[in-house]
Amino acid sequence: MELRKTTVHRVAEAVLQGEITAHQLIDITLKNCGVLNEGLNIFTAVAGVDASEQARAVDQKIKQGKKLPLAGIPVVVKDDLCYGVLPTSLGSSAFSEFISPVTATAVERLMDAGAVVIGKTNLDDMGQGSTTLSSPRGATANPWQAERTAGSAGAAAVATGICMLAVESDSGGALRQGASHCGVAGLRPTTGRVSRYGLNAHCSSFARVGVTAFSCENISGVLDIISGFDERDAATAVCRDGIQENIKAPGSEDITIGYPVTVFDFLEPELREVFEQARDEFAGHGYKIKEIELGLLREGLQAYYVIALAEASSSHARFDGIRFGKTGAADNLHNMYFQSRAEILGQEARRRSIFGTFLLGKGNYGRYYRQASKIWQMVRWEFEGALKDCDLLMLPTSKNLPRPLQGQSSFLDQWSDDLFCAPVSLSGLPALTIPAGQIEQHPVGMQLVGPPFSEKTLLNVGSASEHKN
Amino acid sequence: MDDRSAGLDKAIEAIKIGVSDPERNQLHIELDQFLDWLEPMLGVDTGDQEGLLFSHDAVNVLREDSPRQSDPAEIQEAAPSFAGGFYLVPKIME
Repeated sequence: MELRKTTVHRVAEAVLQGEITAHQLIDITLKNCGVLNEGLNIFTAVAGVDASEQARAVDQKIKQGKKLPLAGIPVVVKDDLCYGVLPTSLGSSAFSEFISPVTATAVERLMDAGAVVIGKTNLDDMGQGSTTLSSPRGATANPWQAERTAGSAGAAAVATGICMLAVESDSGGALRQGASHCGVAGLRPTTGRVSRYGLNAHCSSFARVGVTAFSCENISGVLDIISGFDERDAATAVCRDGIQENIKAPGSEDITIGYPVTVFDFLEPELREVFEQARDEFAGHGYKIKEIELGLLREGLQAYYVIALAEASSSHARFDGIRFGKTGAADNLHNMYFQSRAEILGQEARRRSIFGTFLLGKGNYGRYYRQASKIWQMVRWEFEGALKDCDLLMLPTSKNLPRPLQGQSSFLDQWSDDLFCAPVSLSGLPALTIPAGQIEQHPVGMQLVGPPFSEKTLLNVGSASEHKN
Repeated sequence: MDDRSAGLDKAIEAIKIGVSDPERNQLHIELDQFLDWLEPMLGVDTGDQEGLLFSHDAVNVLREDSPRQSDPAEIQEAAPSFAGGFYLVPKIME
């Protein structure tokens, strides 16, 4: 069974109907894992025995008559999300053996529905980045072009067919850029839709838990399962009384897609061509296209980094060798803190913590942080304004092809890769990355952004686009 | 030493992260680059509007205040080190 050529629904039905047991499916998946992962560096941990045990438990529940909608579906989990059996490294070598006492709500809900966690996936230093280049384990290679990064290891796992779903975090765009670089679909949900309990978020204002899959149909199959109120994440209180889905009629002629002409200022010609083709294809399929202005993308990216770094400096404070992390060897308390934190935080996390503290310092708070919080509000208004005239917006996902594994790129170059994703994070709106085209046989994705809780509309449009292409 | 450099050194001291001299020098250079990079954001006329402080509009997010049974054994099991009725932490008193 090639997982890329089927759907979550079909595989789960096959397991429920007894055509294959969950244990057999996971056994095959784990055997394929070693081959498909070769040279890619996708995993931080593989759930060998545990995955088999999970699968046997699923088979047992099916025998007892339970209708599990995700029976036997192999899932990977980004390693900043806790799963109480495998280590959760958070992207730090200091936590390579840390096993969390809890399991993230999104993971727990997938497992309750019959999914089987087969492994944890690689990530940047403390989950901060959209390349995996700062991972203490080395970067994850792109399945399409091994000399470039995958962006996200979960997307690489889905693209290779190692698994059917990846549960991943997305703050400034890691999930979406990974999906774009690996030619798969990735959904960052509306703020509050999916619980972040069990996520080690470096900036809680923007961190979300989303799903990457080979198709929009597969994401649709799990969205309701992972969505909804969780008393352990206050942000989900917006769903306490159920989710008011914002679903637009399925007919393409009823949907207007906003097309921000300003993005062309930032795109290389070949990426611009892909994006224009995607626009023309939508128009060809009957969608109305309306040109709009989004004039604060660059400033939104900058505001995102001010706020994200400030929050990182606070959230990293707990990694002191006493409360969390290994205690560094030192001859007194003062040195112990300095040593422990230098060992726990990698270079990228150290840079972000230090800059974030600087930005919050006397004289800088008003100049940088307060201004960033105002830009945050203005970006939110700008997106809301654009969506008054349109049902959805289309945006590029990344301004570049994935970064090469070898060779230097400055930290600002890497941060600038989030140009089209970070402002959407500020907006709080849901965003779906889908394949838009290719450059030299390398996939390029684009984002569809909609009003709050419009994920089903985004997935319907994305799915229609997949089938027509 | 200018304000930026002094501010950076103060930040490193405040959050107690050990950095080598070469890394500290590099951070000074990078901070300058970063702050220059932020200039377009500083140039936006934001008027006297209020900034956004929360990412969502959820209100009354407190759970119902009802008593629940906790399981000390579960908490002890989750602790990095527990012995003789005590949670063990690294020695910090000198």
